[in-house]
Amino acid sequence: MKHNSTARTLAVLVLLGVAAFPLYWMLVTSLTPSERLFDDTPNLLPTLSQIGTYAAAFTETSLRQWLVNSLIVAVGTTVLSILLSVLPAYALSRLTFNGKLLLGFALFMTQMLPEAMLVVPLYDIFTKLSLLNTLLGLILANTAFTVPVVTWILKGAIDGVPSEIEEAARVDGCSRLGIVLAVVVPLIAPTLAAAAVIAFFHGWNEYVFAQTFISDDALRTASVGLASFVGELSTPVHTVMAVGFIYTLPAVVFYLFVQRYVVAGMTTGGVKG
Amino acid sequence: MAIKLQNVTKSFGSLTVIDNVSLEAGDDEFLVLLGPSGCGKSTILRMIAGLETVTSGEIHLGGKRVDELPPSDRDMAFVFQSYALYPHMTVRRNIAFPLIMRQFRWWFHIPFIGDYFKRRIENSPEVRELVERTADTLALTKVLDRHPRTLSGGQRQRVALGRAMVREPSAFLMDEPLSNLDAKLRTAMRAEITQLHQRVGGNFVYVTHDQIEAMTMGTRIALMRDGHLQQYGTPREIYEKPANTYVARFIGTPPMNLIDAEVEGMTVRIGNSVLPLPDKAERPGAERAGGGSRMKVWLGLRPGALAVVPPGQGKSLPGTVTLVEHVGAESLISVKLSGVHTAHDDDGGLTDEVMVSVPGYSELRVGEAVGIDCLLKDFSLFEKDSGLRVGGRAAEDFLAGGRVGTIRTAS
Repeated sequence: MKHNSTARTLAVLVLLGVAAFPLYWMLVTSLTPSERLFDDTPNLLPTLSQIGTYAAAFTETSLRQWLVNSLIVAVGTTVLSILLSVLPAYALSRLTFNGKLLLGFALFMTQMLPEAMLVVPLYDIFTKLSLLNTLLGLILANTAFTVPVVTWILKGAIDGVPSEIEEAARVDGCSRLGIVLAVVVPLIAPTLAAAAVIAFFHGWNEYVFAQTFISDDALRTASVGLASFVGELSTPVHTVMAVGFIYTLPAVVFYLFVQRYVVAGMTTGGVKG
Repeated sequence: MAIKLQNVTKSFGSLTVIDNVSLEAGDDEFLVLLGPSGCGKSTILRMIAGLETVTSGEIHLGGKRVDELPPSDRDMAFVFQSYALYPHMTVRRNIAFPLIMRQFRWWFHIPFIGDYFKRRIENSPEVRELVERTADTLALTKVLDRHPRTLSGGQRQRVALGRAMVREPSAFLMDEPLSNLDAKLRTAMRAEITQLHQRVGGNFVYVTHDQIEAMTMGTRIALMRDGHLQQYGTPREIYEKPANTYVARFIGTPPMNLIDAEVEGMTVRIGNSVLPLPDKAERPGAERAGGGSRMKVWLGLRPGALAVVPPGQGKSLPGTVTLVEHVGAESLISVKLSGVHTAHDDDGGLTDEVMVSVPGYSELRVGEAVGIDCLLKDFSLFEKDSGLRVGGRAAEDFLAGGRVGTIRTAS
């Protein structure tokens, strides 16, 4: 038993190292003096005297504005995706209607189209709707991509809610909408949190639409801003790494915040297993 | 309020699961729907509750047709086999939930604002008082602010009962509410539900596959099989005058013995023995016997209506002991009869064994030759082909009380 748990701890540490090392490497590189960047032996300890790089990232670039824009897009995408997915997921899980299978499959189909293929038609549509060069347009485009995924994830969770609980609510006087909002949604909260993470990350990381649809500097998101450092002739490695590190942090913080809701066993106790 | 089912049929596509069932239970009746799993009893209950639609026929509650109303408008409470508590709510909120729903407004859907109003209803003096009184009756006061997952099975079941009681509905519908509890708790909860019925009144409709529950709790039993109603009557009627061989074998532990016999006039012939029927016994009418007054029947005798006697005594049937089970207050003796068939089940399976119960501890040994005496006081006669009851103990004997059958548990 003890041997087993030691092995497990080791395995977790190794995996943690694999996952966290790129982040650490980014931090170290951003804090390494330029002359030592291309040393034969890589430098694995940050040089604290270089900390000014981070201050410079904020003062010399529009990083603050980019992060705010990214946050608006990511939060907007998350909220809208969840709002638009709960009812379709419930319908796919619980109701019987013609074309249900087809609809479910069609949702999957959307995931097979690469973003790049949709850029041109979306650009055309957004031009007509005056959504070009707006954060709202970006939120809508991202939401269109996350809704199918989130719908399927939530459908899976709703499938797991015992139907007796819903029937009990019906007998107790709940409407359909009441059942979804007062009974089903609280019971699938862990999955909602997981789905929120997926939607948030999609909105936060999205690049192709942000690059194409946004031309106004003030509306740029961090993903585009970060890429803008990479020049034809030179790339300021320090700044790229520092901005990259800062760019990663909010996503990690969001995950840590939501993570505590992603706990199993929410429906325990309602029905006898 | 009276519950009435009128020619209720339920089909899923071409499959008919409930076939033309009619029954009526008067005010404050405890109606038990009894039958093996898959017989359609739960479907009937769900149709009464409105959780399933009725394919044809009508359901009335208190003279009002309800089968087209949504579940919430039928004034019925439902207790599920799996309890179906709301796991994310405290016991207090679970019990108060139907009351909150009564005052529900659309803006309660809005997060936070809705929560505030729901809490306000929950904390209003009248709801609070009602919930606490209900909890007190069910000994749940101490756990009111806990979540269902921290409760034991019996407590969860009581919360489910509380959620039903708090609405003061005109009918309580219960779908095998005790089948998830252990034997001891089940007996205790059985008594609690019976007392609840006596205290709060109202119609109870209770689904179970357990004949002991049906016999002890019900004022009326509807015995179902494959979507058909087999018999509808008081527990005593069903036990003493089963309508057919299926009912006879289903009710009573161990089940009734069905012995191959022939009725001729006032006598019944079993193997080589000819026994006189009691004067007042119901007998198959001459017109039904067809071709003379002889009729092939199953003679139905409860294990207590058979007696073990020394072999060859009087008109006893010869046999050999094959099994002796000591149950405590009585012993159950299986005896293989020679030259006489008995029905093994309702599907025509034949055997030649009967089950006899004798009081006290029996000293009989397996393999011992014995005689079996049939005590024709408490018996039923079933037509051989149809399995329908065609006669038995005297009608007036039944009405006058006679000997009341005892129900034994196998354990």
